Amino acid sequence: MTDERILTVGVEDLSSSTVLLCPAGEIDRDSQTVLHEAATAAFGRGADRLIIDLTEVTFCDSGGLSLFVRLDREAAARGGSLRLAAARPAVRAILDVVNFDRLMSLHETVAEAVQASRAEG
Amino acid sequence: MDEAVTARWFDAVGDILRQSHLWRPDQLTTYVESAAARLGLHTTVWVVDYEQVSLRALPVPGRPVPPPVPIDGTAMGRAFTLVRTRRADGEDRWWVPMVNGTDRLGVLEVAGPGAADPEFGSRCETLAGLIGHLITTTSARGDSIDRVRRTAPMSTAAEMLWRMLPPLTASCEHAVVSAVLQPCYDVGGDGFDYAIDDETAQLLILDAAGKGLPAGLACSVALAAVRARRRAGYGLLEQARAADEALAEQFPDARFVTAVLVELDLTDGRVRYLNAGHPAPLVLRAGKLIAELSGGRRLPLGLGGTGAEIGESVMRPGDRLLCYSDGVTEARTGTGERFGRDRLIEVTERHAGAELSAPEVLRRLAHEVMAQSAGEPDDDATLLLLEWSGAAVTRTVPTSGERE
Repeated sequence: MTDERILTVGVEDLSSSTVLLCPAGEIDRDSQTVLHEAATAAFGRGADRLIIDLTEVTFCDSGGLSLFVRLDREAAARGGSLRLAAARPAVRAILDVVNFDRLMSLHETVAEAVQASRAEG
Repeated sequence: MDEAVTARWFDAVGDILRQSHLWRPDQLTTYVESAAARLGLHTTVWVVDYEQVSLRALPVPGRPVPPPVPIDGTAMGRAFTLVRTRRADGEDRWWVPMVNGTDRLGVLEVAGPGAADPEFGSRCETLAGLIGHLITTTSARGDSIDRVRRTAPMSTAAEMLWRMLPPLTASCEHAVVSAVLQPCYDVGGDGFDYAIDDETAQLLILDAAGKGLPAGLACSVALAAVRARRRAGYGLLEQARAADEALAEQFPDARFVTAVLVELDLTDGRVRYLNAGHPAPLVLRAGKLIAELSGGRRLPLGLGGTGAEIGESVMRPGDRLLCYSDGVTEARTGTGERFGRDRLIEVTERHAGAELSAPEVLRRLAHEVMAQSAGEPDDDATLLLLEWSGAAVTRTVPTSGERE
């Protein structure tokens, strides 16, 4: 595995209920555990709204897509939501192929996702 | 036609058939060889390995086993790739393609005095045809033949998946369907299926999320659900719904399977399809991409497909329909360059334009993809090609004559 394939995740609590996760690198079936752990920790702090900023994500395989589905369900079960934001064209194309816009909220920018999350009330 | 010779061949074929009821897979060559010996001939049965790289001889007791013969760059290999009988230069030795239907199994090598018999080629094809069918039925009785086809151990997922798949190639009067699956000993999440009945061809390509046995199980469940509902006479929406239900029930961890289900009417070219989160199949005509089946979209199987509508398109005779999994286009070199859709189209049309048969186009394509991923593929890569053309069908059928 080369360095560029290691995934790191930045975490920012926007409020007691909303957490912004900023993964950087490639989300695949191995590296997704890093993002999973960060999300689980956020849920553990009482958050139920996750925003994943995909700006620095260069690739996402089916293992990563699977994680998005699980996090979406987990957030929904807690009365919240999962929002994916700012995907690059290559990553957006992957999300479009699997039609995930029908399953979860996809936003062009992080600001838009934050605003939509706040509007949830 | 020499009737005495014909009668001797008829007897030999009859002998083989009568004895085949009790064959163990390891005895096939012994019985074939003893029947051939009475015609003054020696035979070697060569079977193709799973990766379709070389032909490997089934052992004959008391004879040394010849080394494997590469498919690329050898005369015997050409008999396999072109499905055409070839005679060795200056020798009384023939290589005869061995198929089951049009699924390429290997090559029957026949040595002996046959040159004087004008019917020799076609007699050998009858013999090879019989052996091809008998290999198919005998293989399942024991492990000996399948063992020869393997150059590496199979993973549990790959073992399970291969047993679920139909033959790699099937042809009818108007169309050929062919598929290839890599990495063949370690495949897990990808799969395919097809059915040609009456005047309808149905195709299915699948790609389960994840890797290894969990992905293999999800793929198998989806394939079986679709197949069972199809065989019960239900349409595409119902088939997909059955897979949704089976996956959701078996895999609470949100394991999903992307898929395309296609139905082609071979009388009028009408295409109906559903795309469950999979790369859109391509319609190719005369070397060019003319359409993508980009409608009929829904979520991947297992995540629910409410509101999905059947996509529709029309194909013309001569068109090719190419379905592929993302492992094909996303295969990449050490430098990170991906195979990509444009190259997929270019390579497909280059080989198909060279009048290669559908299975041969896919064999070469799969090897280019594997070469690209430098021996360590990240993902399963599957290709499923339908050619709607009588000429394409002819290219899959064994012959001793020159092809036009």
